[in-house]
Amino acid sequence: MTTSPTILGFDTSGPAVSCALMVSGAVSIARNEEMAKGQAERLLPLLEEVLAEAGVSWHALDAIAVGTGPGNFTGIRISVAAARGLALSLGVPAVGVSMLEALAFGTDAPVLSCLDARRDRLYLQRFHPTRARGPELVALSDTDDWALPDLTCIGPPAQALGRELGLPIAHPAFPPAEALVRVAATRWQTVQTPPAPLYMRAADAAPPADPPPVILPS
Amino acid sequence: MPRTLLGIESSCDDTAAAVVCDADDPENRILSSVVVGQNELHAGFGGVVPEIAARAHAEKLDVAVQQALDAAQTRLSALDGIAVTAGPGLIGGVLSGVMLAKGLSAGSGLPLIGVNHLAGHALTPRLTDNLPYPYLMLLVSGGHCQLLCVDGPTQFRRLGGTIDDAPGEAFDKTARLLALPQPGGPSVEDTARHGDETRFRFPRPLLDRPGCDMSFSGLKTALLRARDGCIAEHGGLRETDRADLCAGFQAAVRDVLAEKTSRAIAHYLESAPAAPWLAVAGGVAANQQIRAALESKAREQGLQFTAPPLRLCTDNAAMIAWAGLEKSATEAPDGLDLSARPRWPLDSTAAPMLGSGKKGAKA
Repeated sequence: MTTSPTILGFDTSGPAVSCALMVSGAVSIARNEEMAKGQAERLLPLLEEVLAEAGVSWHALDAIAVGTGPGNFTGIRISVAAARGLALSLGVPAVGVSMLEALAFGTDAPVLSCLDARRDRLYLQRFHPTRARGPELVALSDTDDWALPDLTCIGPPAQALGRELGLPIAHPAFPPAEALVRVAATRWQTVQTPPAPLYMRAADAAPPADPPPVILPS
Repeated sequence: MPRTLLGIESSCDDTAAAVVCDADDPENRILSSVVVGQNELHAGFGGVVPEIAARAHAEKLDVAVQQALDAAQTRLSALDGIAVTAGPGLIGGVLSGVMLAKGLSAGSGLPLIGVNHLAGHALTPRLTDNLPYPYLMLLVSGGHCQLLCVDGPTQFRRLGGTIDDAPGEAFDKTARLLALPQPGGPSVEDTARHGDETRFRFPRPLLDRPGCDMSFSGLKTALLRARDGCIAEHGGLRETDRADLCAGFQAAVRDVLAEKTSRAIAHYLESAPAAPWLAVAGGVAANQQIRAALESKAREQGLQFTAPPLRLCTDNAAMIAWAGLEKSATEAPDGLDLSARPRWPLDSTAAPMLGSGKKGAKA
């Protein structure tokens, strides 16, 4: 087992296709293509382009890294399903990495990671040596008790959240796809479970409104 | 040397993978077929919830593929390609299957073959019985109801179909209205055995009109009205009333399917096929009464009749692998940019029957 792995990572949990390639422990290519739709069509061709550009074959990969969200349910599944297929066909591990963890990776101070969850909500996770918390889906009005004195806020909604909680903000140490291959590089040899989407909320489904009739034995 | 494909199916609530080859003898074709159902996940909701189905597919499909490979005692690298349902169906599930298949194809270098789910059903009689083209097909399930003339692996002429609900869906709704368990097909059929089908005379929609199109949504409304009448009279639904309602409902579906199939047979015979066959597939084809009525129409009009065994009538991946084998014999494989399609009519020339909005015809 090498400690300088070759890992291909990708994420489609937001309105983009992002990917990064680590070759022998060093990130060599990272790409991000913004798109509102079409990620399912674009993902694999983009990965093949990146591999070709780096002169790396599929079989040279030691692991696959994949963003598991939170974010768009369909987008997360696009990447997770592809990662599971690649892992199965290549016989290498697929490492699921939360994008909240990817945001915090590489920052030494305790971090409050945040992502927009729409409808006035945030996905939050606190990375802290003694007071870790989350990930959770939190209403914008309920963020008060997430603050700690030594936290730094990182993520797309960090500016507003930092102002609200009186916390400093910072940029992530690495772009998202690059961060997720770097996270995967720390645990690809020990990963036990296949990547699973981080949905953070139950499927919208309600039992039928009309109750079944009472049955009278005859 | 026979060609062997992996098949993947995830368009509704069954997660399925299979390994199938094109051996001469149908008995030797299916090397493995794994189907993992989701009934318990959807039980509380009175029907399949798309997001719940998609979540289950995304985490079960690769496990099913590994099981199918193990059961066939083979490896991906020993196969000739990967066939996957690319539509029509619930898009979250279809997409999970298509993306898994792309990952498998990229990593293994095997060709990727996108298959129409309905073609999978429609070609099953060739997998099981080597039926010669052209044959007449009634595809009748929880999501679909079509009468097709099958002329070739990708050549289908639609003679008619439902303009609203599919019969399987109507069975499920009937079960829900009558406090019977899901899926409704078997539970309504069982209950109907003890009932009198002549007591409630339910409508036979569109029977009075020419052509092979069908409608089942009015039947459901009529059933609800009759049920409410029984409840109002007795303060609840008596078991005898329930059995009679089931029997009356089943008889109406049977009569509509039999009559419309009979008309489609007449159409089909106009092209003078050398060996005329009627094949039925889909979960509703498992209903004994409906099957018997269809078989008798076929015999009366000089056709041979076949219905694949139930495990190949309902959703499965063996049919997808087989359709992939037939398709790839004449067509080039798909690229890694293959799209998952919620709607994908088999007969692109026929006027759309369902969902002819901006997204195009569903079926």
